[in-house]
Amino acid sequence: MAAEYVLEMRDITKKYGENTVLSGVSLKVRPGEIHALLGENGAGKSTLMNVLFGMPVIHATGGFGGEVLLDGKPTHIASPHDAMLKGIGMVHQEFMLLPGFSITENIKLNREITHPNLVSRVLGKNLETLDMTAMSEDARKALDSVGMSIDEYTMVAGLPVGYMQFVEIAREIDKTGIKLMVFDEPTAVLTESEAAQLIKVMKKIAAKGIAIIFITHRLDEVMSAANAITILRDGKLAATREIKDTSIVELAELMIGRKGEGVVNVAPRVAPHERVALRLKDLVVEMPGEEVRGISLDAYEGEILGIGGLAGQGKIGIPNGVMSLYPTEGSVELFGEELKLGNAGDALRSGIAMVSEDRKGVGLLLDQSIEDNIVFNAMQIKGEYLHKLGPFTLRNSAAIRKEAEEMIRELDIRCFGPTQHAGTLSGGNQQKVCIARALAMNPRFLFVSEPTRGIDIGAKRLVLETLVKLNREQGMTVVMVSSELQELRSICDRIAIVSEGKLVDILSPDASDADFGLAMSGIKPDEHRTKGGSAQ
Amino acid sequence: MKQNKVRITVAAVLGVLAAVLIVLGALNMPQRTSEKGAQIISDLRNRSLLIATGDGVVESYVAIAKKEATAAAKAAGGGMSAIREAVAKAEEETRAKYSNSTTDYSTLDTTALTEAAAAYAEALAAYDEVALTAEEDYIAAHIAEAKAAAEAEREAKIAAGEEVGEEEEVKVDMSGFVATAEMTALLAEADAQYAAVGEALRTIYPVLDDSALATLKDTIGDIVYQRGDSFTVQYDRYIAAGSGAAVSDKAGAFMIRYADDMIYVGLALIIAGLVVLFYDVLVAKLGIPRVIIGLFFILLCFMALLYDLSLPTLLSNTIVRMGMNSIMVLAMVPGIQCGISLNLGLPIGLVCGLVGGLMTIELGLPGWSGFLFAIGVGAALAAVCGFVYAQLLNRLKGEEMSVTTYVGFSIVSLMCIAWLVLPFKSLKLRWPLGTGLRNTIGLDSTNFAHILDDLFAFEILGFEVPTGLLLFMALACFLVWLFSRSKTGIAMQAVGNNPRFAEATGISVDRMRIIGTMLSTVLGAIGILVYSQSYGFMQLYTAPRQMGFIAASAILIGGASTSRCKISHVIIGTFLFQGVLTLGMPVANVLVPGSTISETLRILISNGIILYALTKSGGESRA
Repeated sequence: MAAEYVLEMRDITKKYGENTVLSGVSLKVRPGEIHALLGENGAGKSTLMNVLFGMPVIHATGGFGGEVLLDGKPTHIASPHDAMLKGIGMVHQEFMLLPGFSITENIKLNREITHPNLVSRVLGKNLETLDMTAMSEDARKALDSVGMSIDEYTMVAGLPVGYMQFVEIAREIDKTGIKLMVFDEPTAVLTESEAAQLIKVMKKIAAKGIAIIFITHRLDEVMSAANAITILRDGKLAATREIKDTSIVELAELMIGRKGEGVVNVAPRVAPHERVALRLKDLVVEMPGEEVRGISLDAYEGEILGIGGLAGQGKIGIPNGVMSLYPTEGSVELFGEELKLGNAGDALRSGIAMVSEDRKGVGLLLDQSIEDNIVFNAMQIKGEYLHKLGPFTLRNSAAIRKEAEEMIRELDIRCFGPTQHAGTLSGGNQQKVCIARALAMNPRFLFVSEPTRGIDIGAKRLVLETLVKLNREQGMTVVMVSSELQELRSICDRIAIVSEGKLVDILSPDASDADFGLAMSGIKPDEHRTKGGSAQ
Repeated sequence: MKQNKVRITVAAVLGVLAAVLIVLGALNMPQRTSEKGAQIISDLRNRSLLIATGDGVVESYVAIAKKEATAAAKAAGGGMSAIREAVAKAEEETRAKYSNSTTDYSTLDTTALTEAAAAYAEALAAYDEVALTAEEDYIAAHIAEAKAAAEAEREAKIAAGEEVGEEEEVKVDMSGFVATAEMTALLAEADAQYAAVGEALRTIYPVLDDSALATLKDTIGDIVYQRGDSFTVQYDRYIAAGSGAAVSDKAGAFMIRYADDMIYVGLALIIAGLVVLFYDVLVAKLGIPRVIIGLFFILLCFMALLYDLSLPTLLSNTIVRMGMNSIMVLAMVPGIQCGISLNLGLPIGLVCGLVGGLMTIELGLPGWSGFLFAIGVGAALAAVCGFVYAQLLNRLKGEEMSVTTYVGFSIVSLMCIAWLVLPFKSLKLRWPLGTGLRNTIGLDSTNFAHILDDLFAFEILGFEVPTGLLLFMALACFLVWLFSRSKTGIAMQAVGNNPRFAEATGISVDRMRIIGTMLSTVLGAIGILVYSQSYGFMQLYTAPRQMGFIAASAILIGGASTSRCKISHVIIGTFLFQGVLTLGMPVANVLVPGSTISETLRILISNGIILYALTKSGGESRA
């Protein structure tokens, strides 16, 4: 048991088809160490953990390259259950608890302590009696070790979110022989005091010799909790650092990095800064998973404004809120006029168009033809592409076909023709259909939400170039929401960074990686500098 | 690759088999009218005549033996008991003697008989032809009179409060029919020919006397000629009479008899081969259930041909049933398009339509005005009920399938009470005793029975075309199609297709679902009236319960899914579903006489197809 590392992952490489998501990543965790795993969305953190837990998705797609060593010995982890037997536990981001069961039952689920009875002797082990006393004792011990005084008989349903998190941790601790625990963004749903408590518990667990892998994007938490840090970027190992040798600014820089050249090259210009096109005031949007908690932001007429931030921080909630797709409060002014919230039709009528991030869910009628998709909004909102036939108002097939063919040519939508069903197109071409529908409305103001998600590089470039062209040639104001910082930096005039539902800062595309990294983890770069400066 | 090879081999084998059968059939088919065919028929006929006469001859010998025995006993001076004993003994002996001696028919000289029988058959056919036209003329001249009489009787019964059953087909009383002069002349000629046949038989069985021949006249007439005779009919008749041994070339005769069936089987094999060959394409284009049902339908068509059932009649019945069910199936379209999936709550619309129909009869509105009134009232009621029903569905989104099913069941049960208490007065509607409406209300010519079916109806090649019904179906389909291309229709389809998309465009999902549900319910009301006018009855109480399921499975067979449908799915689906049922019943009755297998088939198909559609409601497949 004298191995230096409890877990060692060497040269892990994973491909999904042609797509390399991890290449040559190594991770070394000492016993009793809190090891932070950092990276942007899509950097490869979850894939690495999937490899560690032997998730079926890994084995089903051809396994992985490299090796995993536990206590210095090469190991094959066949399944999540196997991982559990080998002493690896996971605290999930979404709680995996049964609400109708008590805390004890949840902690001991599938590992119940039982003793045989008459029936079980005949019909097998599954019918043995539960030893509730012993189970409660175990549960109590586990709860104490995470510093929870709550009664172990309490039902899980109705517990505050923070408590559930601790029950989940207690369950992992209760597992005998646990050597390594993975915390996947455990503080994301916790209040500040709960988060502080959690970090205390983590340190307590680590002190018992159990190693912890701590996945988070909050750099300050990393600084206060972790001993060592591994940073991933684009599926590659960016750096490994000991906490004492690094600073929050360096971490931010490492996390963002320069991802080569910009996706498209745009001639530099002085951004228009005169009239306000869209003014958001205290916008609150209840979009599940992307809550906006009070954002005030101006977009100037004729500019391309980027909105960036990590996933789940609320940036996507902004366009969805303005379009009233989710319950929204606050005020929205468009070209000086107050926009009535509550009906997407009103927003569309006032001249805003939106390309949704959820192409298949919201953006398209998958079972309808390309042409019907393109003209749908213009037909329903503006009453275009219709003609009268006696008492009926019918679709004007000829006009629709003409518009669709024009759009297909202009946006280079690869298809068999305007009657092909949208559902059979590739992701990039679906996105172009979505953009075509927005353009068919002749909007004054365009929201594009994650326009390059899940589409190939060629289509990405075309989509971004189209946005620039619309902006430069027609003077259309564009607000682009994207998780791809590099794309935002290549075409936007200004970039607003959102974290935890609030606006952190508005940065110039030329701002440093460290500034973006800090802003994305919720720290305003200027403030950090002044704080850091005063400390020095 | 390997699978492909197997497939091609199987298809090739089937193709070769089919070719052989079709060539054999085509070669043998013309033989029926050739000399060989005539020879076979005449051989068989002679043998049948000889067998039948042979039985008569035995009777003649018995009669002669009895007479002789009586005379002998009398001459011997015996009493009554002695005579009776002698007669019984003689009869027994004679029967044993002649019955057991198997006559070797092939040694008999039948040249004369052949000619006489052929001439007699011709004479009978000539007579029958003339008789048929004469009878038809008589019926045509007297039908109006008979109808008026039947109507008067019916009215009298209703006035007296008696039970009136369904309106039966009026039959002309033939007792007043007198044979024409031409008929008498032809009959006399036929009798002359029979005498010739008698002579020919007498040369073979000298014992036959005139009285024996007179007794045998009907039997021989039936053997020689029956109305609608053809090669196959005669062949089957003579074989059934046990004359098979008369044909020297048995295999040849068999082939001629079954030449048409060989061609049918050959064609069926070709279709089977094509299906094997293009199985993947078919399944991809049509989906497994449509392929299965389609093949089943084709199989039934061939079986109807093989069992010599009248395919044109069956197909024309199919067309009628397609027309009468089509509007109810069409009612599924707005439901699927607006996103409430299969509207199994269709009985709501059906009972509204029935109420409209009942009011027409109650008020005594005749013909077209009555039918249009029924549609108007039914549609108006259905619109109101559909609105309320839609409110319910909008509050229970995501559970439409169970909600519609249970609403359908509930409304039928609720209306079972309503039918008992609704204040209708007409004796055509009410039970003669007690309260409540009849179970089945027969429509007649005073209201809207067959009003669409008979409009511009015509007959072509034994195929009756219910023009009005088909026109009405086409009109309804066209209107629904137009609606699906209107602004509202397109918005409604977007709601069904992707509610979140529709909402993102500011379309009120609830409003569109209300429109779709109301349309579906109104179409249901019109549908049941179209159904009833064609069927000739309005069925109350539990009858509408299954109709929602039938309509749902028909459109699914047509290729719709629970979230996508087109007008073509309605037409194809209704045709296939009703076709399978219409053809299934007579074919099943031939296979398993007196069974209810056809009803079982209906339940199996309609429920099975709905289950299948539910497994597919993930809806990945796009045609």
